[in-house]
Amino acid sequence: MNQAVARIGRSRRIAIDLPAAFNLVGTLAKYLGLAALFPTAVALWYSEPVWPFLAAGAITSGFGLALERVTAGASTRVGAREGFLVVSLVWLLAAAFAALPYLFAGGAQLGHPLDAYFEGMSGFTTTGSTVVTDYGALSHSIDMWRQFTQWLGGMGIIVLAIAVLPRLRIGGRQLMESELPGPELSQFSERIRSTARMLWLLYVALTALEALALASLGWLGVDDRMTPYEALAHAFTTMPTGGFSTQAGSLASFSAAAQWIVVVFMLLAGANFALLFRGLARRRPRAFLQDEEFRVYLALAALAAIVLTTELWSYGLVHGEAAIRAGVFQAVSLVTTTGYTTVDFGFWPVLVLLSLFALMFVGASAGSTGGSIKVVRHLLLAKILRRELDQTVSPNVVMPVRLNGASVDEPALRAISSFVLLYVGAWAVGAAIIAIDSAISGVGLGTLDSLAASATALGNIGPGFGITGPMGSFASLGDVSKLTLIGLMWIGRLEIVPVAVLLTRHYWRL
Amino acid sequence: MKVFLIGAGQVGSTVVETLNHDHELTVLDTEPSRLAAIADRYDVTTVEGDGTSRRDLQRAGVADADLVIAASSRDEVNLVAGMFARRETREATTVIRTSNVEYVDLWREGQLDVDFVVSSELETANAISRIIGVPAARQTDVFAEGQVQIAEFDVDERASADVVGVPLRDASIPTDSKVAAVIHDGQMTLPRGTDEIRSGDRIVVIGSPEAAQAWGSLLLPEGASTVREVVIYGAGRVGSAIARALLEQGVGLRMIEASEERARRAAEAFPKARVYHATGLEPEFLQRERIGQAQAAVFAMRDDAKNQYAASVARVHGIPYTIAIAHEAISVPAFEQAGIDVSVNPRGVTAEEIVRFAHDPRTKQVAMLDQNRYEVLDVTTRPSSRHIGTAFRDMPVHGALIGAIVREGKAIFPHGDDVLQAGDRVILFTEAANVPWVVEAL
Repeated sequence: MNQAVARIGRSRRIAIDLPAAFNLVGTLAKYLGLAALFPTAVALWYSEPVWPFLAAGAITSGFGLALERVTAGASTRVGAREGFLVVSLVWLLAAAFAALPYLFAGGAQLGHPLDAYFEGMSGFTTTGSTVVTDYGALSHSIDMWRQFTQWLGGMGIIVLAIAVLPRLRIGGRQLMESELPGPELSQFSERIRSTARMLWLLYVALTALEALALASLGWLGVDDRMTPYEALAHAFTTMPTGGFSTQAGSLASFSAAAQWIVVVFMLLAGANFALLFRGLARRRPRAFLQDEEFRVYLALAALAAIVLTTELWSYGLVHGEAAIRAGVFQAVSLVTTTGYTTVDFGFWPVLVLLSLFALMFVGASAGSTGGSIKVVRHLLLAKILRRELDQTVSPNVVMPVRLNGASVDEPALRAISSFVLLYVGAWAVGAAIIAIDSAISGVGLGTLDSLAASATALGNIGPGFGITGPMGSFASLGDVSKLTLIGLMWIGRLEIVPVAVLLTRHYWRL
Repeated sequence: MKVFLIGAGQVGSTVVETLNHDHELTVLDTEPSRLAAIADRYDVTTVEGDGTSRRDLQRAGVADADLVIAASSRDEVNLVAGMFARRETREATTVIRTSNVEYVDLWREGQLDVDFVVSSELETANAISRIIGVPAARQTDVFAEGQVQIAEFDVDERASADVVGVPLRDASIPTDSKVAAVIHDGQMTLPRGTDEIRSGDRIVVIGSPEAAQAWGSLLLPEGASTVREVVIYGAGRVGSAIARALLEQGVGLRMIEASEERARRAAEAFPKARVYHATGLEPEFLQRERIGQAQAAVFAMRDDAKNQYAASVARVHGIPYTIAIAHEAISVPAFEQAGIDVSVNPRGVTAEEIVRFAHDPRTKQVAMLDQNRYEVLDVTTRPSSRHIGTAFRDMPVHGALIGAIVREGKAIFPHGDDVLQAGDRVILFTEAANVPWVVEAL
């Protein structure tokens, strides 16, 4: 431990190797800046100004390079301890990078720094909440940049989920089913690198497949509005369970066929990518049936779809195929934390809203690009609770909690309980701040709307209720609310703990 | 037959005791005192030496043996001795004893170059699972791939009047079964139709598994005839092996283990069992968990005294049927005295299993009853046997009784008119002293 201790300032002993952490953040930022080349190409294609993207890329890469230089010579040993800081900073930085083009060319809607940062954070955390009110006013390149940030965020999450979080003992090794040796973050082992590469390949392949499927609707004349541009834009935000759309009406602007295709890909995006890889790429479809989380995930999605369809039909809001489609689409969209919509549920009856609200806390599978609590945690929490009740009656009984037949060790179970507590706590605090701010600033956000806004941001879902509903936007909210939502999106994406750890005294000092 | 035995401990001396009459034995052990104890009592060759030393094995003459038994208490010694013996002579049958079930699995996969592996834990577990199948029995064993069962019962005043106190030819005996022996005041007789079973006797029954169960409920009518739930005390190696065997039988299982670590491991290994971290002696715990509602309990802790005490406490809490592991041979009568229904000595069970390999190749399996005084043989008849073609009614009765025959793979429980054929597998019951000539006659 001693060599990791640096002495700075008034010779306080600090426990964290800041230069090493910053060095890694710099390296990551350096490469992140290259992502600006894609929207630059789009801008060239549509003869739109390219400088906002080039400038954003140059600033980001330049900043990364500078940070790397300043901290050059730092130890390259980035351990688990520094890992918490690195992932927290990277997501903050990525959101800032995403915000730069909005700042430069976002016009009135996105030009304000806070709005730009909100949109950037919503993009990189694959949330899908937006401050955009007039989609028609956005250029193609800015539009595509929004979609693209979510797609990049999804890639980041795959690495986060398979390589980083399990090493920081979040989510638990067993939940990921991947053996990740060693505590060194900077020296990604070949195994992790190859796993990441395979999962990225799967991610890219599924995105391409979806884009192709959607585009073919346009080519076949089934859906005239589904141009190749729209197909790619929506494939970019389905696979990361993002939810940004180029249309004010989200998926409502497209045909029923397009909506069903998107449902299928949302379900895939909400599954564990390691499982998808085994089941699809290695052609072992039985792996899906054997996976406990996947079964519960599908069952929950199906149950939610049935409940929603029944409610919609019995309230007379929609009928027939449209009711089924609306029920299934909204259920899958919320469970997977994508946040696409085909109907404006923002002002639906309270009973339906409560069902939707409950779905915001489900979350997709662990190891997916989805957010929120996640099915495996619900599953294990239910098992923990059942054991607690059993042990209340029989204190001597020894009951390992099992997942897919193997027993889950106690630290992992404790981590789940504390995660859920932190999650609910963060949600409640966030909702309170938003409610108070809205009341003070006179924004028309009701109680349930405030609760939903907090939940949708923390769960990286996207739409809220009321004015922040599917066809609305977060633009009219106060600055404090927006800042709160940014914070919620950020900590929700990182599964709270890495950020929460930064708030403890002993993280910094020995 | 020349038998070479490595290890003169409890298992070894039991093997010597059973085999010394009919076979030429050489016993190898590192401990002179143990060898001396055996040499004093039996006419066998004893050699002081190390089973893991190839030179010692050679010097003791392992190369001449027909059967090599490595029965020391240490797995490693047995494994090495078995391998070396294999090198010295390819003809000999090698049998090794192990206390690790993993080696049994390895052997089954063909990874161990020995002929047979006998595990104390597994044999004990199988013995107990057979007893649980017929809970009134003191001891039971199965033959002919489970088609024939032999069971030993203590008859007491609870037994049904259908079979007790009436001449056997008038008694309503379960079909497909025979009373092979009646032991009255320590005196065994092969019963005739005019004999009757009395309370206080011990009887041996041969029959189908269903018949054995029927006997169980005749002799112990009130409840307990089919065990639905068993409590196992102790989740160590023996307890876990028993748990596995009972779960395979489909019996409901609860386990009590005082060590937290072992309790956790048992709970992980047996999802279907309910495992408690407890000593199993606190009345509060026993009361709260309704331990007394189980039909049987198996005491498989490491300490015989603990097993005995826990069994007494369990009885007080209402468990009707108790089976205890007696690690020391001396504990068997002590347990019996203390009211434990069945005691199983793992080393005894292991020795019994090992001894089976010393029999005539025609003699497949042997079970020993009542401290090895009686044996059950499974003999295939030779075409030259003078009893071929004889109806069972006319079979000479010479202290042996044919309980069942296996013909073309199917068990038949013969009646007077049935005729013995060449190639029949005969399952018969006899006194240990009669074994050689009985085998000869068939």
